[in-house]
Order: sequence, then C-alpha cells, then structure tokens
Amino acid sequence: MDLMVLGINHKTAPVEIREKFSFTGKRMAEVNRLLKEDASLEENLVLSTCNRMEIYAVANHNKDHIGDIKNFLGRFHNLNILDYKDRLYVYRDKEAIEHLFKVAAGLDSMVIGEAEILGQVKKAYQEAKESQTTGKVLNKLFQNAFNTAKKLRTETSITRGAVSVSSVAVRLAKKILGRLRDKKVLIVGTGKVGEQLISYLKKEGIESILVTNRTFEKARDLAARFAVAAIPFEDFRSRLVETDIIITSTGAPHCIIRKDEILSLMPMRKQNPFLIIDLAVPRDVETDTNKIDNVYLYDVDDLQKTVDETIVLRKNELDSCFEIIGASSGKFIDWLISEKLRNEG
Amino acid sequence: MPDHSSSLQQFQNIYLTLHIATIYLSYIAFFVASVAAVLYLIQDNLLKNKQVGIVLNRLPNLFFLDKLNYRAIGSGFPILTLSIIIGFIWAKHIRGASWSYNSREVYSLVLWLMYALILHVRLSSKLRGTKVAQLSLVAFCLVIFTLFSTCR
Repeated sequence: MDLMVLGINHKTAPVEIREKFSFTGKRMAEVNRLLKEDASLEENLVLSTCNRMEIYAVANHNKDHIGDIKNFLGRFHNLNILDYKDRLYVYRDKEAIEHLFKVAAGLDSMVIGEAEILGQVKKAYQEAKESQTTGKVLNKLFQNAFNTAKKLRTETSITRGAVSVSSVAVRLAKKILGRLRDKKVLIVGTGKVGEQLISYLKKEGIESILVTNRTFEKARDLAARFAVAAIPFEDFRSRLVETDIIITSTGAPHCIIRKDEILSLMPMRKQNPFLIIDLAVPRDVETDTNKIDNVYLYDVDDLQKTVDETIVLRKNELDSCFEIIGASSGKFIDWLISEKLRNEG
Repeated sequence: MPDHSSSLQQFQNIYLTLHIATIYLSYIAFFVASVAAVLYLIQDNLLKNKQVGIVLNRLPNLFFLDKLNYRAIGSGFPILTLSIIIGFIWAKHIRGASWSYNSREVYSLVLWLMYALILHVRLSSKLRGTKVAQLSLVAFCLVIFTLFSTCR
C-alpha cells in the first residue's frame, strides 16, 4: 500500500503549462472515477486550482502507478506527457504527507500563509469523497491535513497580517475609523488597485462610495461595475468635508490635494479623522498633509512596506510551522506503516 | 442636646461619605479616560509614522479610544461636580464657610474647569482625537496633584 502524489505547481511551471493540466470547470466526480479505473488505484483525489494540479493516490499493487497516472493525464488532456517530465513532481509516503500538510496550510502557496487554498483543498476532498474514490487512507490523511492547517493558524503567526496593498488599506481604515459600515469613501481616479479596494470596501459593508475621474465616462463605467455612484471631477472637492476615506490614483503630474486645503477643511469636518490613501505615482497629495492632526496619509510605498513586513514575519514563522508539520506527519506515517503491516500480514 | 449633636454628626458623616465616594468615582472615570488617551496617543503615533506592524498590533482602534475617553470624561465630570457641591455644603456646616482657599479646594476647582474645557471643545468639535487625548492627560496630572494636596 503506497501513498503518492504527482503534481505540477507555480514553482515548477508557468501558467501556460499549468493550464494544460488543469481540471478547473470539469466535473470532478467523473474525473476522479475515471482516474481510479484507468490507473487501477485504491484511492485517489484530484486537486486543481489556478496555481497547482495534484493527484493524491493510494495503490496496492507493486506496479508503476505513477506511469499509469501520467498516461491518464496525457490521454485526458491530450498531451505528450514526456514533454513535461521535468515539470511534474512525485512524492511518496512521508514526503507526500508533508507536502499535503504544507499545501493545505498555504506554505506552498505563492503568498505564504494565504487561506484560500485550505478551502480549495477541502472542496477537492469533498468532491473526491462524493465520487467515492477516497478511502481509509486519504480520508484520514486529509482530516489530518485540515487539523494541522488549523493548528498552524492558531499556534503560529503564519496567517497574520495583510499581504496585499488593498488589504493593508482596509486594515488601516479600521484601525483609524473603527467600524467602516457607515463611512463615506471617495475614489479619485480609476486604477487597478483602486478597483480592488472598492470591492474590499464593499465587503466591509460600506455603502457610500463615490467615484470620480477627469474623464467622466471612465468614472461612470467603474461606478456601474461596482454599483456605486459617479460624480463629475469638478465636484469632488466639495465632497471632501463629508468624506472619511479618500483614495486617489490620478495620472496628474502634480499634487491635486494640498495640505492647506485639507487644513482649512478640518474645522468644517468637525475634526473628524481623515484617511487619505494616495496610490498615484507621481503622488496626488502633498506629503505634509500627514502632519495635520487627525489626518492620516498613506502612499503606495507606505502600504507596500507593510505588506513586505508581513511577508518577512510569515517567513520567520516557517521553522515553527515545519516543526508542527513534522510532528503531525510523523504520527500519520506511523499509522500508515501499521496499516501496511496489517494488510500484508 | 445630645440628640441634636448626634444627628448633626450623622448628617456630617453622610455628607463626608458621599463627598469622598463621589470624588473617587469621578477619579476612576478620569483614570479610564487617561488610559484611553495614552493608548490613543500610542496608536496615533504608530499610524502617523507608519510604524512596523501597524496592522498587526492589538491596540483598539482610534475611534473606539476617542469615544471611550469622551464617555469616561462625560460621566466623570457630573460626578465631580456633585462631589464639589457636597463638599461646599459639608465645609459650610463644619467650618461655617464653604470656601477657604486650601490647596485641595483650589486644585479641585482648576480640575473642574479643565474637564469642563475638555468637554466643551470636544462637544463643540473644536478639537478631537490627539489634542483631546493630550488635554485629558494634563487634566489627569491635576487629578494626581489634587489627590496629594491637603484640605488645610
């Protein structure tokens, strides 16, 4: 009884190759059953996300199951599998267990510690379970992987902090303004990060979001996409009094918001705190604006610095994560060996 | 005659107890306000200077700390006012004069004015956040002075 994993991921292959192996959008129950039959496996599970495609398998006979799985992949995706032999990795037993534990906990992800992968692994497990291609070993293995991931999350700092400019911005907003639900946001200029921020802010329950741009059509299009309101560029200054968060990302070659302007606004704003996020390069807001009481100005570098710090923090946590994984996988391998012996005996 | 003096004694005791109890109650409120103010200033400083790990720390958010400071002062101030009035009445009975320019009385009055000022600027939105937090720390220093001042 051997446990193995064959896979391809963002570390071994670029997206052009990964997408050829992807099962995304396929009926996974069918894929799992076909694979089981084709490669005569005892148990199997296919995990397919945008960054990886992995097949976890348990086989009983002493034959080349990896070859069979590769043949299945070649046939299913219409690929000459020999062309990709350097891209595919194979782990067995202890290595395979540790690999899954790392994947489930997000340690093998592009952004270390990201939580999305755990949901994807759970989904893949659910699909395989429903197609009845998992059994004693994979069931126990995946339950163990979920528990270990949970343990890593609570006992280490691997998932703490914020790892994108947008998520840092949202956290800052909460640190300053508390609950965001009833806050007013003004977006000046249309940009990629600004767009991502809108969706993050909407997730926080913010309803009052205004978008403006020198070219009004762009603002209108963006506003329509996110179901928010657009205002003409000339009007945005009159809205500053009531705004709690302003996000600027215009292509203007000089500052469009000056310190004196904000300073004179503060009494009218009743000194309410003001978060200014300047995503533009060159910057839209005069740097000294940050010196005004209750005004917090962050530019793109400030936000990126926080992202980098988080990543360093998470990397520092890796050793303690591996320790926990080593202990959990050790326990599992002991169980697997005892099962093997029982089967053979 | 003994009846009269014992009831006077009782009257004085009640006033003294009330006076002291309300004073300490208001000081507790002011203490809470100053803790909130200290945390506010730390958090504000981290945010202004874009310090390491600003999104990681577990300090409460500025909005909460500002509100806590305001609410604590808002409840401490009327209690302090009550305490001072009781003090006047009590002093009048004991000394025949409600005001005798001892250091505690003077400090208490300054303290009362200080918190009145803080409440005024906060309520009228003239100042908020950082400045109010700083003012409430100054006021709390006065609380400490008042605690160590004497009634003589």
